[in-house]
Amino acid sequence: MVTGPALRAHVREAGLAYLLLAPSLVFLAAFTYWPIIRSVWFSFHDVMLGSDKIFFLGLENYQRLWTDALFWKSLANTAFYTLVTIPSAIACALLLAVALDSKLRGMTFYRSAFFYPVMIPSVAAGMVWVFLYAPGYGPINHALALFGLPKLEWLYDSNTAMIAIIIMSIWKYSGYFMLILLAALQMIPSDLHEAARLDGVSAWNRLIHITIPLISPTLYFVIIIGLLHSYQIFDYVYVMTQGGPADATNVLTFYIYQNGFQYQDIGYASTLANVLLLFVGGLITLVALVFGRRVHYLGR
Amino acid sequence: MATLQDPLELSAPATSRGTLAHMRATLRRNWLHVLLLPLLALWASPLVWIVVTSLKTRVEVFDPNAGFLPAIAQWSNYPAAMAVAPFGTYLVNSVLVTGGILICELVTITLAAYAFARLSFPGKNILFTLFLLQIMFPIYATFLTNFVTVRELGILNSLPALIVPFVASGYGTFMLRQAFRQVPTELADAARLDGCGHLGILWHVYLPLVKPTLVAFSIIAVVTHWNDYMWPLLVTNSESVRTLPIGLGLLAKSDSGADWTRLMAATVVVVSPLLLFFVIFQRRFVDSFMHAGLK
Amino acid sequence: MAEVVLQGVSKSYQGRPTVHGVDLAVADREFMVLVGPSGCGKSTTLRMVAGLEEITAGRLLIDGRDVTHAEPQKRDIAMVFQSYALYPHMTAYRNMAFGLLKTSKLPKAEIDRRIGEAAEILHITHLLERKPNALSGGERQRVAIGRALVRQPKVFLFDEPLSNLDAKLRTHMRGELKRLHKELGLTVIYVTHDQIEAMTLGTRVAILSEGRLQQVGAPMDLYMRPANTFVATFIGSPEMSLLRCALRPNGAGSVVHHPRFDTHIPGALERAEPGDILLGVRPEEVTLSPPETPAMARGTVERTELIGSEALAEIRMGDDRLMARTPVMQAPDVGAEVGLSFDMARVRLFDAATGRALARL
Repeated sequence: MVTGPALRAHVREAGLAYLLLAPSLVFLAAFTYWPIIRSVWFSFHDVMLGSDKIFFLGLENYQRLWTDALFWKSLANTAFYTLVTIPSAIACALLLAVALDSKLRGMTFYRSAFFYPVMIPSVAAGMVWVFLYAPGYGPINHALALFGLPKLEWLYDSNTAMIAIIIMSIWKYSGYFMLILLAALQMIPSDLHEAARLDGVSAWNRLIHITIPLISPTLYFVIIIGLLHSYQIFDYVYVMTQGGPADATNVLTFYIYQNGFQYQDIGYASTLANVLLLFVGGLITLVALVFGRRVHYLGR
Repeated sequence: MATLQDPLELSAPATSRGTLAHMRATLRRNWLHVLLLPLLALWASPLVWIVVTSLKTRVEVFDPNAGFLPAIAQWSNYPAAMAVAPFGTYLVNSVLVTGGILICELVTITLAAYAFARLSFPGKNILFTLFLLQIMFPIYATFLTNFVTVRELGILNSLPALIVPFVASGYGTFMLRQAFRQVPTELADAARLDGCGHLGILWHVYLPLVKPTLVAFSIIAVVTHWNDYMWPLLVTNSESVRTLPIGLGLLAKSDSGADWTRLMAATVVVVSPLLLFFVIFQRRFVDSFMHAGLK
Repeated sequence: MAEVVLQGVSKSYQGRPTVHGVDLAVADREFMVLVGPSGCGKSTTLRMVAGLEEITAGRLLIDGRDVTHAEPQKRDIAMVFQSYALYPHMTAYRNMAFGLLKTSKLPKAEIDRRIGEAAEILHITHLLERKPNALSGGERQRVAIGRALVRQPKVFLFDEPLSNLDAKLRTHMRGELKRLHKELGLTVIYVTHDQIEAMTLGTRVAILSEGRLQQVGAPMDLYMRPANTFVATFIGSPEMSLLRCALRPNGAGSVVHHPRFDTHIPGALERAEPGDILLGVRPEEVTLSPPETPAMARGTVERTELIGSEALAEIRMGDDRLMARTPVMQAPDVGAEVGLSFDMARVRLFDAATGRALARL
């Protein structure tokens, strides 16, 4: 059907498209696809950092993984961090967003005050919270004492260290999620709420049955963003605890770092990295399957 | 800022439906303030603590009986902190790296987004999925093998090593493609009749029209890369190429947590450029993060 | 001289044809209107002329030059879009100058002169420094036309340019376009779905349906002598009524038989053999009379509608419905029985199977 000149036009257009994509693709190939492929390849080998020798190991790295208690611990820690932080931060963000989605006096000020932690570098945030959590002179323990509550060891106690990092993460990210949810809330036509109010629907029911379903595409988006930000836990662990105490905050990214950079065992670290890719990829797929289909879209 | 409801006014009999409604509305608003103000204090306290501590003496930090505010503001903590490490070099490096990444990203995402938004070619869907894959697996997931690659390229411990992994952006391409698709096709048609080729259309029509998206992306990119810690930590090991966050981290380590006053002074220096921009261009920043990905 | 000739121009998307071999010759200084319902292929045809759509098959000549596969800017055409397509980030002046700067090497003074001239013709001189979002719909429309004018192209293409304006402004702009065409001697191809626009603007009108050219002719020609039932019902409002009848030749004329009446058509027809036909009657070709007077047929008034000086009556005749136009004072009551007579010299006959008009010889 496509004749000479028309075909030429198609080929020209496709050629231009590939040309425009080329710069991106070169860098994506080098720093996204190639590392993933390589990580899989490395995981079947014994590779040491700085050595040219590579030995085939077959599934040995994976067998080692299976019996490595520390790996399981770091995986559990990663899962715990992700599965507690994201829902809490989003719940917190949603409440803040709903509260701020009104003609409240000082609204912009509140918004900025909740949002500013996003602007703080993770290393600075981590450091400051180390100070805030300090058992002896830290202000958090002072505040607890003020309310007659017992002082905690926070980052020095394996029972509370991860919780401490989670609390800090909620402080750091809620404002970001709040902002995105706020944008979604402001797009809900006000007549929907007015209609529900005329029907005598209570504020709580309006939130559950109108607001949340209508912003569900955004909630879904925020969950994904949250999952992607959970990679940043490396920074906090590195700055605040170095995985301790007793590996209570050792998470996958940090364990990969330890194996790859401290023990120079690239092969095993790659094996761990593959688990991380599967973990995040799996979680995102799961979220997409569970929430992706149920979200309500306004209009188009 | 919040004016609490006068109890007398609450118990006063409602003279008309208007005042009753007014009272209820005021009450409702102030209830929100009652809820939000403590949260606000919680959220703001770390920043307040940073600033206050940076002006204290070392003794005051550890003295439980010292007041919340320093007795005398120790401004000398700032020059002292700056003297510990070459913060000037760090600052220049941060600017070069963040600026370099931003410029490269803007070029690559503009070209790629135009191809995805307006051209038809075989393999478009697969390639687009491949771009999205990068959102799912950023450098923080593949840092290990990327480190090996950068080492093999022989650019370890150099500014290019801090830039190259971030040149292409799946997220930026996606964001810009969405924006390009909002531009009416008739405008592109008109530009074709006016004698523009694809690149002319991109330059004269599309880019000027998606400026808000470009600004939003730039702000997010700058915040991300200015604050980035993990990747620079892995690929730098000398003062000449370190960025501000790395410098700050090193300072924390070398001081081994003892001198919080100097450390907090350095923190103020490191966080203030972005926070300052944030305060000045608040609306732009908030809008950028608010609508990122929603359009 | 600017002639546009389409020779069997066709378009298919992924093997699915949407425009089937359109043959059309637009003469110099002609105002050719392409009209048809949405999805009939009129816009696609115009976009093929503009070079915005690839021509799948056939040839396109502008001024005798084959431009079938030429780039849009090499065709010497200018186009006014439905949404005006003004660049939002440029002033009206820049919008008009942009194409000239890109395609011609005209000196600045000449560009200024042309824009000044066009602005004067369009009464937008005071708006040149404004950006599109500071202009009203009608003003944007003028700037869009101005952008086309300054190019001084051989052919002007208009894609439903008035459909985004309100009714009053539309009538006004229609007059303006007519004036421009006459004063400047433009060659225009104009796409619309509005048959009134087509009839009032076009020196000739081309009617498309389902990607095929149905008929080309002067507006009155199309109205009086539609080539088929599609054209017959598309042109004219309210539309022509079609009554299914049996036709039988009888002497010098033919007998038309309808369940409710029989009548005679004088003169020879293109077709001599008996068969089913559709009798096409326009509302103004029906005369209503009181039930007791003699008439060709009888029917019941279903509905009446006042349209100013006249009234429309929908009349049921067995299974058929038919529209009639009467002076307001003589409008019948709903439910009343009325007598009907048709102006048999003007009614048209169509082949019931193909819908094609049967010529009256």
